[in-house]
Amino acid sequence: MSHRFLASLGVLAAVSLAPAPVAGQTPAAKSKKTAAAKTWTPPRTPWGQPDLQGIWDFATITPMERPKELEGKDVLTAEEASEFEQRTLVQRNPDRRDGGSQADVGRAYNQFWWDYGSKVIGTKRTSLVVDPPDGRIPPLAPEARQRSEARAAVARLPAAGPEDRNLWERCILGGNAGPPMTPGAYNNNVQLFQAPGYVVILNEMINDARIVPLDGRPHLAPDIRQWRGDSRGRWEDNTLVVDTTNFTNQTNFRGAGRNLHVVERFTRAGADTLLYEFTIDDPMTWTRPWSAAFPMTKTPGPIYEYACHEGNYGMFNILTGARADDKAAEEAAKKGTR
Amino acid sequence: MPKLAGVIAGAGLVLAPAAAPVWAHHAFAAEFDAKKPIRLQGMVTKMEWINPHAWIHLDVKRPDGTVEKWMIEGGTPNTLLRRGFTKNSVLPGTVIVVDGYQAKDGSLKGNGRDLTFPDGRKLFLGSSGTGAPKDGRDPAEAKR
Amino acid sequence: MRKPFGCARNAIATAALGAVLSLAVQPAAGQAPAYKAPRGAEGKPDLNGIWQALGTAHWDIEGHAARAGAVVALGAAGAVPAGPGVVEGGQIPYQPWAAEKRKENLRNWLAADPEIKCYMPGVPRATYMPFPFQIVQTPKHVLMTYEFAGASRVIHMDRPDFESPIDTWMGHSRGRWEGETLVVDVTSFNGQTWFDRAGNFHSDALRVVERYSALSRDALRYEATIEDPKVFTRPWRMSMPLYRRLEKNAQLMEFKCVEFVEELIYGHLRKQPGKGPGGLR
Repeated sequence: MSHRFLASLGVLAAVSLAPAPVAGQTPAAKSKKTAAAKTWTPPRTPWGQPDLQGIWDFATITPMERPKELEGKDVLTAEEASEFEQRTLVQRNPDRRDGGSQADVGRAYNQFWWDYGSKVIGTKRTSLVVDPPDGRIPPLAPEARQRSEARAAVARLPAAGPEDRNLWERCILGGNAGPPMTPGAYNNNVQLFQAPGYVVILNEMINDARIVPLDGRPHLAPDIRQWRGDSRGRWEDNTLVVDTTNFTNQTNFRGAGRNLHVVERFTRAGADTLLYEFTIDDPMTWTRPWSAAFPMTKTPGPIYEYACHEGNYGMFNILTGARADDKAAEEAAKKGTR
Repeated sequence: MPKLAGVIAGAGLVLAPAAAPVWAHHAFAAEFDAKKPIRLQGMVTKMEWINPHAWIHLDVKRPDGTVEKWMIEGGTPNTLLRRGFTKNSVLPGTVIVVDGYQAKDGSLKGNGRDLTFPDGRKLFLGSSGTGAPKDGRDPAEAKR
Repeated sequence: MRKPFGCARNAIATAALGAVLSLAVQPAAGQAPAYKAPRGAEGKPDLNGIWQALGTAHWDIEGHAARAGAVVALGAAGAVPAGPGVVEGGQIPYQPWAAEKRKENLRNWLAADPEIKCYMPGVPRATYMPFPFQIVQTPKHVLMTYEFAGASRVIHMDRPDFESPIDTWMGHSRGRWEGETLVVDVTSFNGQTWFDRAGNFHSDALRVVERYSALSRDALRYEATIEDPKVFTRPWRMSMPLYRRLEKNAQLMEFKCVEFVEELIYGHLRKQPGKGPGGLR
């Protein structure tokens, strides 16, 4: 447990030493500091903590990583952003029927089911990743790359069993809920609750209520691993800092493993805006920590129930489909050239 | 602006979008067979409002008079609920047209690639109820 | 103006229900509580905390002797302990067809009980599963989150006209305070949950009115009034204490349970059936 504490100090140190940042601030905020001119005092709960409560929507079409074509370009102008939005929506529009039947299957269903947002984030930054400053996630360490490739290889084959599919297809964890949370194609909704000593993060996908104690208690023992890890919170001025460890080795956040360490920061930046940042620290997976940030917008809600496992026909179909593929392959082999 | 337009046009800038379409792609490519397109018209008997994929049960009458019972997979119903639709929006008896692909295992299941009424109107279009802007306003992002 | 003590808790919604309950209910210890919970931040009784039921309601909410379990290999660990029951009046007033259906459920327990497949338990079953749950109280919403299957529900406070667009596993909860009691009206169930492991069930017409009030610093009184005109001949009620988890650093642990039932549900579809476990490695 003490090594985890040191690791988190290391994260803070790394973040504060990264180019241009100030300790506790988002790196790459350099050119955005003009926004800091507008100060806003958050409302407080009756027991004096900043009030982060509400239902928040984090859909955005800004990508996690800066596209290679935009290398060196931190921010879009208003016109560029608007054009980018329009082009993305056209290219992403699932009501398109071009591209052949495989693409057609992959586009899955009509536009009216999707909810990935229609706008880039307000700062028009070209990536959600803010550190490294190039907006790209650092490379995977060699062992992690091998693990990732092995997983990808398994995913390409017909599934031998449910464990071969990812955690959201198994209805164990929501794809966008993390931690950390990342904007996805739908259900980008989360509700925060606060009571003395606790913050609870209720993600719509998959009905997961992450209870974050604020009383300074230690993390669970290192041999207790959980799908969504184990979260502990504290306040740093007006920012809620949530530290999560104790992930399992099947956690597959972008290639991470059981040593994943997530530090999230929640700051109420306006009446309708919650700023969310996260730092990923997993030296067994990435060569250095990295961070991303994006705002969440208040939304009327409510959070709807997400009965995933209860109706997971999809897994059934994936497995029967895999058995059908196996059978087809066997028959092809029998008839095959010999 | 011209510079970026050129870059975007040249690069086909749809960024490997945030994870979810990838989920759907993988799952749907694993469940449904691109070589088995289907086009059905049938009567809804039930809609299951479950996540992340709703399922619509359909009775499809074949030319020889037999009735096949199909299940059609859609997207997350919560998106529809946010726009004001309810369990009464697609009642049993509603006739719909399904354009999609059949399950790999040959069962009477398909993905609802395009769901319309017989007159061509999309099934769940309209009624945007929430008013929540999805624009990620963050005027004070750097503020701490 | 609300009366501060127990009398207000007995205000009964319908005359019929009142008639039934005045016959069925014996004065309970919690009827006129001497204990008044400390006020929370918004001036209401503070029910925040981690709570858990004891007893055997999760096995069978009616009174029952101990009996053998369904899985021989589990021996005593799978046997059903005895319990006096939590149903006021003793027996659930099933319609005749439903009484038969309940027996059929019990015979088919392993195949039919949604708990075994790790499905969300619904209300009131979630309250008395042998797992803790946590209440997080805010003025507009009370969150109840259950360790079993990570099920959660948000109780919308003071919004009696807020309807649910669909039917769900955990129902749609609307709450209000009546003096010391949190009253929760739960509707819009999808009818797929059970009350216990003994096959006691309901339809999608179920309506549950729950009442939570503090018995002491570390105990709550929980009552649930059940109405389902498709299944029962009249409304009926269950009640039990809920106990605070007092361990230092008590926390809900994770029991997603999906990974423990994949073999059960999908095992026959494996490439090599009979191989494969779930769980963490």
